[in-house]
Amino acid sequence: MKTEPVAIIAAGAVTPIGADLDAFWTGLVTGTDGVSRIERFPVGDLRVGLGGEIKKLKRERRGDCRASQLLFAAADDLRARASLDAPPARVAVVLGTALGGVEEGEKALAGDPSARRAAAALYDGPARALALRLGARGPVITVSTACASGATALGVAADLLRSDAADLVVAGGYDILCRFVMRGFDALRSLTRDRVRPFDRRRSGLLLGEGAALVLLARDRDAGERRLGRLLGHASASDGAHVAAPDPEGRGLEWAIRAALAEAEVGAADIDFVSAHGTATPLNDRVEAAVLRRVLGACAERIPVNAIKGALGHTMGAAATLEAIMCLLASREGVVPHTVGLEEHDPECELDFVVTAPRAVRPRVSLSTSLGFGGCNAALVLEGDAR
Amino acid sequence: MTGTEVAAVGVVTGWGEGAAALPSDAVRAAAGRRVIAAARPPLVGERFRRATRECLLGVAAVEALLREANLEREEIRGCETALVYVTAAGYGAANHGFIVAGAATGATLHFPYTAPSAVPAEVAIEFGLTGPYVILLGGAAATIDGLWQATLQVGRGRCRRALVLAVETFSECEELWARGRWLLRPPLVESAACALLIPGPSRATYAPASTESPLEALARARAGETLACAPLIALALARAGGGAAPFRLTGQWRGRRAGLAWEAH
Repeated sequence: MKTEPVAIIAAGAVTPIGADLDAFWTGLVTGTDGVSRIERFPVGDLRVGLGGEIKKLKRERRGDCRASQLLFAAADDLRARASLDAPPARVAVVLGTALGGVEEGEKALAGDPSARRAAAALYDGPARALALRLGARGPVITVSTACASGATALGVAADLLRSDAADLVVAGGYDILCRFVMRGFDALRSLTRDRVRPFDRRRSGLLLGEGAALVLLARDRDAGERRLGRLLGHASASDGAHVAAPDPEGRGLEWAIRAALAEAEVGAADIDFVSAHGTATPLNDRVEAAVLRRVLGACAERIPVNAIKGALGHTMGAAATLEAIMCLLASREGVVPHTVGLEEHDPECELDFVVTAPRAVRPRVSLSTSLGFGGCNAALVLEGDAR
Repeated sequence: MTGTEVAAVGVVTGWGEGAAALPSDAVRAAAGRRVIAAARPPLVGERFRRATRECLLGVAAVEALLREANLEREEIRGCETALVYVTAAGYGAANHGFIVAGAATGATLHFPYTAPSAVPAEVAIEFGLTGPYVILLGGAAATIDGLWQATLQVGRGRCRRALVLAVETFSECEELWARGRWLLRPPLVESAACALLIPGPSRATYAPASTESPLEALARARAGETLACAPLIALALARAGGGAAPFRLTGQWRGRRAGLAWEAH
């Protein structure tokens, strides 16, 4: 049974390299480095105090948590580009997050006795807040497949549309930098003291970032002329191997990619561009590169690959949605951004990486891959609107 | 799209294992206790050294399911089994431990166990599940969303069967839950439940619901407040009562009620 494509009508974002979609794209193609010393909370006791922190954010309303504020900023950007022209009950919200409102939980446990703070610690709170702000009264769903959340959310959103459970879906991902996550990754020794170097021979770990990214989705037949691109296929799969590390063979990732390609009814020969997860941890990048070589076969020699976490840091729940949006913007603009931080070739990661400067190509079909804690893997197949 | 059916449901709660362990009136049985705790399942071995209580409850729920369905572990192993995990608060205990215990002692829970994905990860590792994988956060309405996702995974041929697992614990964060008392009605009953969906004769229809279904009311009355586990406990009660399609399941969380109706094709 052929799976109906889903139109991606518009996008909105707030990131460490740009406060809206246009600035995000400009930052990518100019190689802007969004990583800096974290200023919003104390990091002096941590091994690494760097991250992709958003320094300026329009403060919405006293009492909104930072996660909601990031989402509201991305939603304002989205709504400046497209309207939610469907009955409220037919507009759904599907958001991916790794951390939800955990910073509110930190505050609740640090002495703030309010009931409001305790309720805001629930991870589904920011999605509810966004739905309320948008006036969306359809399904409100929070997905948490760790750092693959932003991809899984787009897949669940597409399922809502194909099942006729909604006419429009605002979908995407978000996460914030906070003490909780910085302390956790610091304890794991996963953060690099160097810069983030995806697929580089010298890579030594990731740095975290924060952001929010949203897309407006509709059934392709309902979208009319307005379209940034299309979601052709998606899949998610479990490694069933380790709580924190990827399966050394990458079996879950491979399964997800093959299933997404099958749903999209495209083969390796149809892929024009790959946006890799590319955390810059030694194991992730080696596993991911090997899987991509297996799936793409001989086509791997000619398919450009990039990873944008060198510019942004790892924005966790936002990452996969930002990367999907980047794929569509690359189609529209005819340029693939380069992999900031990748300078020295790693023979264990043999792919055609876009390095040093953006490459002038106009991909039609893109593959975006994601991995996360808990053996979460996800893949998206996207088609850009190159008109 | 292929139809589906619920083949079995495994349930572990603070009241005991299975639907038969549920009291007829949870409020009366609680006798004023605010939380009915579930014991840490006696799973041992090096692999579970770091696993949290909620992870072990997830494993215990799948084991209860296998006993209920009379299945061997090998029969669900591999990429033909989807795993859909749902929780409203299952990550709370680990977060609490990481924030409070870590701050007090300097020692910290292994950080990856604070992720909501830790519970399904331990389940996937234990039972060798490598198929489609979705994790949703929220209460009973999210479990309805999860059951709907499972019907899609099976119905569209992405897998041959789907497990819908929910785990909720409250003890460690009892004080926080007490602050948010408008969200839920005690007793809060720690639970883990898992439903097995397979291809079958019934078509599932997913839609918002304006009213509580009889099964939702029954699960609340018998089990108490079990958040994301409630719709799965309702399914277990329906099966225990000989229920088969057509039936309607609803779940409510923070003002949203979702519904899923199984009807004969």
